[in-house]
Order: sequence, then structure tokens, then C-alpha cells
Amino acid sequence: MPLSRHLVFWSLSLLIGWGSGCDSPTDRFPPNELFARVVVHPFSGEFERASTDVGRLVESLFGTPDSPSIPDRLLAAGDGEPLLDPQRLARASGPVSSDREGLNFGIYRAQCVVCHGLSGDGFGPAAALQNPYPRDFRSGVFKYKSTTRGSKPTRDDLRRLLVHGIPGTGMPSFARQPEDDREALIDYLIYLSIRGEVERRLLAWSVEELGYGEADGPTSAEDSLVLLDSGRLASDELAEQVDEILEQVVDSWLRPEPVAVPTPPTWDVSELASAAARGRELFHGPLANCASCHGTDGDGSAVTLDFDDWTKEFTTRLGVAPSDPIVRDFRRAGALRPRPISPRKLSWGNFRGGSDPDSLYRLLTVGIAGTPMPGLLVTAEPGGVGVTPDQVWDLVAYLQSLSADAPAPAPRSAE
Amino acid sequence: MMNLLETDNRTEANASDSDGASASPGGTCSLSTGSAVGAAPPGRWLHRAAVVLVAMVWPLIWIGGQVTTYAAGMAVPDWPGTYGYNLFLYPYQTWLFGPFDLFIEHGHRLLAALVGMVAIVTVALAWLVEPRRWVRWLTVLLLVAVIGQGLLGGVRVILAARTLAMLHGCTAEIFFALCVTLMAVTSRWWWQQDSAKSPRAPTNGPGERVPGRGVIVAASALVVAAYLQVVLGAQLRHVQPTASPGGFTHLVATHLVTAVVVLGLALGIAWRLWTLVRSRTETSGGCGVLALLKPAWLVVSLVWLQIGLGLATWVSRYGVPTFAQVGPRSSSYLVKSQAFVESLIITGHVATGALVLVTATFLLLRMLRFRHTRLSLLAPTASGT
Ligand code: HEC
Repeated sequence: MPLSRHLVFWSLSLLIGWGSGCDSPTDRFPPNELFARVVVHPFSGEFERASTDVGRLVESLFGTPDSPSIPDRLLAAGDGEPLLDPQRLARASGPVSSDREGLNFGIYRAQCVVCHGLSGDGFGPAAALQNPYPRDFRSGVFKYKSTTRGSKPTRDDLRRLLVHGIPGTGMPSFARQPEDDREALIDYLIYLSIRGEVERRLLAWSVEELGYGEADGPTSAEDSLVLLDSGRLASDELAEQVDEILEQVVDSWLRPEPVAVPTPPTWDVSELASAAARGRELFHGPLANCASCHGTDGDGSAVTLDFDDWTKEFTTRLGVAPSDPIVRDFRRAGALRPRPISPRKLSWGNFRGGSDPDSLYRLLTVGIAGTPMPGLLVTAEPGGVGVTPDQVWDLVAYLQSLSADAPAPAPRSAE
Repeated sequence: MMNLLETDNRTEANASDSDGASASPGGTCSLSTGSAVGAAPPGRWLHRAAVVLVAMVWPLIWIGGQVTTYAAGMAVPDWPGTYGYNLFLYPYQTWLFGPFDLFIEHGHRLLAALVGMVAIVTVALAWLVEPRRWVRWLTVLLLVAVIGQGLLGGVRVILAARTLAMLHGCTAEIFFALCVTLMAVTSRWWWQQDSAKSPRAPTNGPGERVPGRGVIVAASALVVAAYLQVVLGAQLRHVQPTASPGGFTHLVATHLVTAVVVLGLALGIAWRLWTLVRSRTETSGGCGVLALLKPAWLVVSLVWLQIGLGLATWVSRYGVPTFAQVGPRSSSYLVKSQAFVESLIITGHVATGALVLVTATFLLLRMLRFRHTRLSLLAPTASGT
């Protein structure tokens, strides 16, 4: 029967259709080869030794993706409420599962890893297809927050981000997730960021101070970061310095500096309109000069060519053009293809950091960390190089008037 | 012609063409709903069992897809039991009113067990009523496949292995296609094709044309491409946490290109069959090809639907791509994790992909059957003239 032969043929060829294999290993955080390359680059030496030794050292401090650990110094940090809670960390890490009560485990891998990557390097499988690229938490720079440009976000900021997501990007809202899960994710996020930043600082230090990256490198165990069998470093001096680096990073999370927002003026409808008109003037004028990047009336028509800090780190700051073929080496080490950052088209509304007056005020005075978007210099008196708080409010009024379709509430008007 | 009349008189009563298609005197084909009059083919109960299987496996794929969409594959840590209970004895209150991921995972297991039982009944029926030996063995293959599929699902849980979850998803669709194959080869239409040898069947006209080799090859390619889409989609859904962005991007690109290939093949086949219907009615009035054209149309519609669902799936999962952000609404679209409607879109994309595959399989089987029976009918005529 020809048909039965057909059936056999199809069954066989379809069965061979899938590639088989096992799960890829998740027992280790991938080392930060990208940053190792960046710090070694000027020495044009060997970066692997630095990234391996530092990677092991970091593992001894922070554990693995399946069983993260919190260094003692970090565990003790925080007045009253600790920065990280081991139980929440355990819930967020490891492989995906859930128990009979519906408690989720491995939340990071279920929700975040596909974009942000196992180590929070922003190099997850789907990362290259996102615009903007998913954040690399390891440099500890965050865009949307209530704190100063160089500060870490507060827990509340991260909470708000997870609840609201970032409209217009791939970053989802996790509002439907149980609150516990979001809290666990926040702990894990802070953990990944601290871990990543410690790794970066150790890499920089190992290259600058210990001679990693040079051809001969550190020769004795006393001045290298190789761990002894006991799991310690050979010299107490080195151990102290490692501890100091850890402390610096932890401290930055303990004391984020909030940005004070003055009380907004109360305007009636016509005052609001004239405030927006003054704001428009400022937007296009030389003092704020927003139009030079955002285009006339924020229509996004200005031609700019700039990159975010994550990209600049392995390109322009090393004197390498983003189009240079040498960039391929960095991409192999975990960077995504450099993509210019474009100042946003403001006339469509959708301010990612929040459309409420307070958030916009902060945005204008702080700018957006990690991007070319500058913060305005605020001065008490008009004239000179800065703008007054009232002028910032004018700009806020203008921004909100730009996006009539956006679901943005108007500045508090006296009705 | 006359020799045919003498050699085949099995279903003489079958004057109109199969599948309810009939030729009107004017030469156009119409699809009447009344089924052809004919002796009941053997094995009706086997066919009914196959239909039940198909009707159960599609929902099973939906639920299995929901398990993945909700990352609920590990909502029950043990197997074959559920939290220490026998599968069938797990307290229904905690199942129905407990956590959602446990609800779908346990539900998936229950429905799968039910499908396994129907598969057993199917084998029994086949050995009781089915005259064709290869069809009887096909049911055995079906049973083996469903057992294997269950084991694969179980091992996936015990080893907590994502790769096996992906395989489990891929083999599910093969099982579905096998069920549809059984349904197709036990159908009334299938049996009636022998009656095409009847002189009164309007397929013996001088202008008789059967689907050529080219269309058959295209239909085979369609099945392969549709399955390739299933495999690619499963790899995207079950991507490993440490997979490289380059590899993932490559997969997405291949998935998109293959979608275009699938659409092109489906359109090409439908168009070719349509020209066959047209030329047949002009010359001979035979409308048998309609029985092929209908599933071909169905494939085309499903592929369009599937492409729409695929785009919607991307948007639900990763937001509106930059090039499509053309206004305030599209540029402020917010992705929502585990939102219900979005989960239905995403799982619907999986389920519709399965439908495309099995409809294409169904079409291919019908084409082969049609061509085979008509050619074996024509051959003696050709030698006689
Ligand atoms: C040097 C160029 C530059 C200047 C000058 C500039 N911006 Fe921006 N702005 C940017 C870039 C780049 C972004 C996008 C940052 C991102 O996507 O992370 C941005 C983003 C924004 C956003 C979107 C923030 C959000 O939450 O989504 C607003 C609003 C904005 N700018 C307003 C202004 C205003 C008002 C001024 C003038 C006071 C200004 N910008 C000046 C480059 C600039």
C-alpha cells in the first residue's frame, strides 16, 4: 500500500525534525567578559584571566544562580530593614516552579531572564530584538527614579517600575503578579546589581592595581585574586580591599539621595495656558535648548547621533567608533550591536518615567541617568546659567500640553 | 468504460459525487449539505472514535500551551501522582479552587489521561471492525505515541528540564496529526473514493484531471514547513535562559521567513486546485476536486489567522516593535505579564499552528487518496483506447 509507506516516511522524517539535547547549564553566573575587555583594552593584554579570577572571587561572595548567597557585610547592612532578605532572594532565584499554595519560585527566570539575562547583563536571548535594549543591571545605573542622577533608585522606585512597567518598550507591568513575587524580584534585582557592580569594580581594581591584563600579570598568590583551597584570598590585605569595594557598593544602595520637588504653583486654566506658552519659549530658547535634541515642538525631527552610556563604555570612551570592526570583539564578549539613542518624540506623550508633574519636574532637573538627556541647572534667581523652579514648572506645563492624547493629568489647576 | 461498470458495482447508489459536492446541469459545482447516499462504509465506530480523539486533542494542546504560557510546567513537582495523590484521586476542590497554575497543570494531566483511555478504546475498535491491517496498526501507533507523550511529559517534570518540555510540545503536534490521519482514512469520503470507479460518478469524463505531482509535492512541503514552524515556535517559547541573543534573533527570522513560505504554499495549492475545479466543470462536470479545495481554503484561512496571531503574540510578549510605533497609542503600548487575554492570544497562536499542521496533513492525505484512486481508474481506460 503506497499510502502506508507514505505514513512511515512522514512519521520518520518528522521525528527526526527536532534537535534534541539537554538544558543549558545555569549553575554559574557568566563572568563579565565585556567589562574585563573594556578595562584591559588600553593594555591590550589578556582579559580572560581577570574575568575568570574575579568571577570565582565574586562567586565565593555571592553564590550561584541556583543558590545565591549574601555576603555578611551586605546581610548586616541597613538600619532596621535589611537591604536584602535571604528568603525573598531564594524565591526569586533558581529554576521555575511553584508549590501547592501557589507560591512561585524562580520568578526571575520565569519573568525576566529572557531579556535581562541570567546575571542581569541585559544580554538575554530576546535582548537584541528590544528597543531600547534591556537594562544591564551590573553597572548599577538606573534611568527612572526619584533620586539624583548618580544615585541608586529607592525600593519604592523599583516597586513602581514593576507595577507600571514601561509603556512603549518590552518591559512589562507585573501588576498581576502577587505582591510577594514583585518584592522578591526587587531583592533579586538589587542583589544582581550589587553583585554586578562589585564584579566590575574588582575587575577595574585587579587591572589597575594588581597587574591583571599585563603580559606577565600577577605572579605570586599573594598578589593575585586566586582563591586558596580554604576559599580565602592569600593575603589579608587583598581581602580587606575586596571588603572595602563591597562596602562602597552596598553603601550606595543604602543612601540614595532623593530629589526634592518644590510645591507646584496653583494655576487656573488661563494661567496654565500662559505657563505652557512660557515653557514652549524655554523649550526652544537657548537656556534649556530642548529643541536642539527633541526638535521643534518636541516632534522628534532633530538629527542627532549619540549613544547611551552602556554603549559608550566599550566604544567612544575607549576611542573606538561604534562602527569600528573592533567592536565585534566586544560583541563576542557580551555586548549588543551599538544602536544610536534618539531623543524621544515628545508630542506623543508617554513619558516613561511617569507623566505626573512631580516625576516630570524631577526628570527635567535630573535628566536621565545613562543617557544624553541632561538635567537642568536650577537656580533660585532668574538670569544667568540656570532656570528657576518656576521655569521648570513652566516646562512641565508645556510638556503636558504637548501630548493632548496622552493620559497625562494636567498640572494641578485651581478649579 | 463498460468494463469498469462490470468490475465495480460496490456502491452503485452513489450517483452524486462524494463529500456532498454535486454538479448541476449548468456545469458549476455546488456544495450541498446532504450527504451522499451510499452503503455505510465499514468501521463507522472507529471513525467516530477518531473524531472524538481529534476533538479532545485540540483542547489538550490548548491547555498544554497555557501551561507553558503561564510557566506552570513545574506547578506540580511529582509525577505520575499529583502532590502524592493518585492522578485521579487528587481532591477536586483544591484542584478547581487552588492556584491557577496548579489548576491548568493538573487539568492537563487529567485530560491527557482521558485521551489515553480513548486511544485504548480506539485500538480495540480497530481490531474489531477495521478491515485494513495498516489502519489497525496505525491505531496501535497512536496508542504508543500517546503513552510516549505522557512519559515525556512526566520525565520533563521529574528532571525539571525545559528541553524536554519543548520536545513534549513538538511531539504533541505529531500526535494530533496522527489522530487526524486516522480520522481522514476512516472517513466516509475515504471509502467512497473507491466508488469513483462507478460509472455514474462524474469523474470519468474525458476532461478528467487529477492534482498533479507538483501540487502533491507542494502539499508535502506545506506539511513539512508547518511542522518546522511548530518546532521553531517551540524553541522560541522554551528558550534557554543562557541562549545567545544572536541565536534567538536567528530563530525569529527563520520563523518569519517560514511563515511566508507556508502562506505561499497554501495559496499556491489552493489556486491550483481552484483552476482544476474550474476546468473540470467546463469539460466534464466532475466536482470531486472540491473535496480537496475545501480543506485547502481552510488551510489558507488558518494561515492568515495564524500570521495575525503571531504578530499579536509578539506584541503581547515584547511590545510594539519600534518600526510599528506610528502614533501615541502604538508608542505607549504596555506589555502586561500574565494577563489573561494576552495569554489566550499567545496560546491561541500555538493551537492555531497545530490546526494549520493537521489541516495541511488532512489535505495531503486527501490529495494522495484522490489522485491514487482516480489514476488507477484512468489507467485501464487509457490502455483500452
Ligand atoms: C542632548 C540632547 C537632549 C537635550 C538637550 C534634551 N533631551 Fe530630553 N531626551 C534626550 C534623550 C536622548 C532622551 C531619551 C532617553 C531614553 O530613551 O532613555 C530624552 C528623553 C526625554 C523625555 C522622555 C522622558 C521619559 O520619561 O520618557 C522627555 C520628557 C524629555 N527628554 C524632555 C526634555 C526637555 C524638556 C528638555 C529641555 C529641558 C530636554 N529633554 C533636553 C536628549 C535630550
